[in-house]
Amino acid sequence: MNRRTTRAAVTATATQWLLSAWFLLPMIPVMLWAVARTWPAPLPLPSDWGFSGFLDALHDSATSAFGASLILGTLTAVLATPAGAMAAYALAYGHLRGHRSLSVLLIAPAFVPPFVIVMGLNVTLLRLHVPSLAGISLVLMVTAIPYTTFVMRSAFAGYDVTVEDEARMLGASTRAVLTRVRLPLLAPALATSAFLAFLVGWSDYIVTLLIGGGQFVTVPIRIAAAASGTGNEPVIAALSITAAAPPLLLLVTVGLLSRQRRRRRASANPVTHTPAYLTASGALR
Amino acid sequence: MKRFVLLILPAAVPTALVLGAAVTMGVAQSMGLTPVAGGPQSSLDAYSAVASSGELAPAVVISLSIALVATAIAIAVGFTTALAMTTTRFGSKVLKGLAISTIPIPHVIGAAAIGLLLADSGWLARLFGSTAGNWPQFVAGPWWAATIIEYAWKESAFIALVVAATLSRDADELAKTAAVLGAGPAARMRYVTMPLATPALILAGTLSFVYALGSFEVPWLLGRAYPEPLPVLAYRLFTSTDLEVRPQAFAVSMVTMAIALVIGVSALRLFRRQVVTA
Repeated sequence: MNRRTTRAAVTATATQWLLSAWFLLPMIPVMLWAVARTWPAPLPLPSDWGFSGFLDALHDSATSAFGASLILGTLTAVLATPAGAMAAYALAYGHLRGHRSLSVLLIAPAFVPPFVIVMGLNVTLLRLHVPSLAGISLVLMVTAIPYTTFVMRSAFAGYDVTVEDEARMLGASTRAVLTRVRLPLLAPALATSAFLAFLVGWSDYIVTLLIGGGQFVTVPIRIAAAASGTGNEPVIAALSITAAAPPLLLLVTVGLLSRQRRRRRASANPVTHTPAYLTASGALR
Repeated sequence: MKRFVLLILPAAVPTALVLGAAVTMGVAQSMGLTPVAGGPQSSLDAYSAVASSGELAPAVVISLSIALVATAIAIAVGFTTALAMTTTRFGSKVLKGLAISTIPIPHVIGAAAIGLLLADSGWLARLFGSTAGNWPQFVAGPWWAATIIEYAWKESAFIALVVAATLSRDADELAKTAAVLGAGPAARMRYVTMPLATPALILAGTLSFVYALGSFEVPWLLGRAYPEPLPVLAYRLFTSTDLEVRPQAFAVSMVTMAIALVIGVSALRLFRRQVVTA
């Protein structure tokens, strides 16, 4: 190995470590604060360990905020996933007139800041006496549709329709084609798209704040309230871990399950779908 | 055909209604229509009021600068990460895992975490043993550093994964072919990797930019009280007890949307051209 390649290898290794630190560093103080009982200012590590942050959060109705976030995430996923899947199907096979404008319409919410949407919609929702949960879900659904539609469109782009013809030739009914062929093959993409839609609801702040008017308290709203004050570090950390853990666990579980599935039926060919993270950023806003 | 039209309605109707109502009502209220008291008269008073109050121009400049710097860092870090992810073992295992885990963390938590890391009583200040007043003002400072770092952190993971997904498909094969044909590392980067990665970089970069431009909670938590970026300004005017300034909130909101749209449309054009020529 000559000197130049050695130097290149050293640079590469250093870059990799720097990048790892970049992604990891912000979460370290959160993890430390979550298990710190007392951590006076100049000390680099807590002086006393404990779970007071979690206990304080529990006392301060963190469970109801958790429930509210769960409801929002689930509603968004339940509404936006089938809508996105059906729209993607229609765009893939429908030869619709206005195909291009429809595509633009369905991707447009990703390019309009949520606060613009909510502020504009607020008076209308109030005048029509739309209950705030329904209003929030409607806006979150629309915000999630670009992502669910996009994931399902790329899934249909890699979907081999002739498999359905084969099933039909072998005597499968329309219903059997749907439940035994199409849905199983599209399951990974549907899971990805539901996960993204869930994240839109789970991590939303401004839509819940403006339409809910402070009545609907989710985990992000609790975290923002705690973070805008001072001296709440253990509670902020505990709530942050509570809010980050469920989607992370979901991600790991789905990853492990799909790996197992892939191994089990290496011969079958589930549609390679856009990975969860591909469109996730919007979801995570 | 009819069946397909029915299938697209559950997504298209709510989207069209929500966007249509939001934009129409936003424009109308910014022009003083549907006022709280008095008859409807349309005017651009709210726009000139918020402009002459000296709040709009700084808001536009700050929001654009934050979004620009944050996106530039996110693209640089994200692209480097994507290269490491697709070419090295460490990258494909460790870096990919770290980037994926960053994705589902909500921005509010990202902001809280960056605060715990960078504030003057934050972890880094403690690690470096900085005494009060010594630590650079990342949080609520004049350079919006904590806000920019939060966006750059979250969005670099997003950009890395989008670009890596594009590169992993065929970049390796093509780069090997190019190497066999005598292309050096620089030539492979310029003629193979970059053309493959550019469309993904444009798309992911634009989404990041528009997000950083229009997001409220991060600059609200990590930024300074004055001057305010566009979403923070709009929110304050919107929730103000003085209902007279309500139209100004919508004027700020419409300006933000116009900027986002101009950037979105030009990026889409650029994207199309890139895809066609690639």
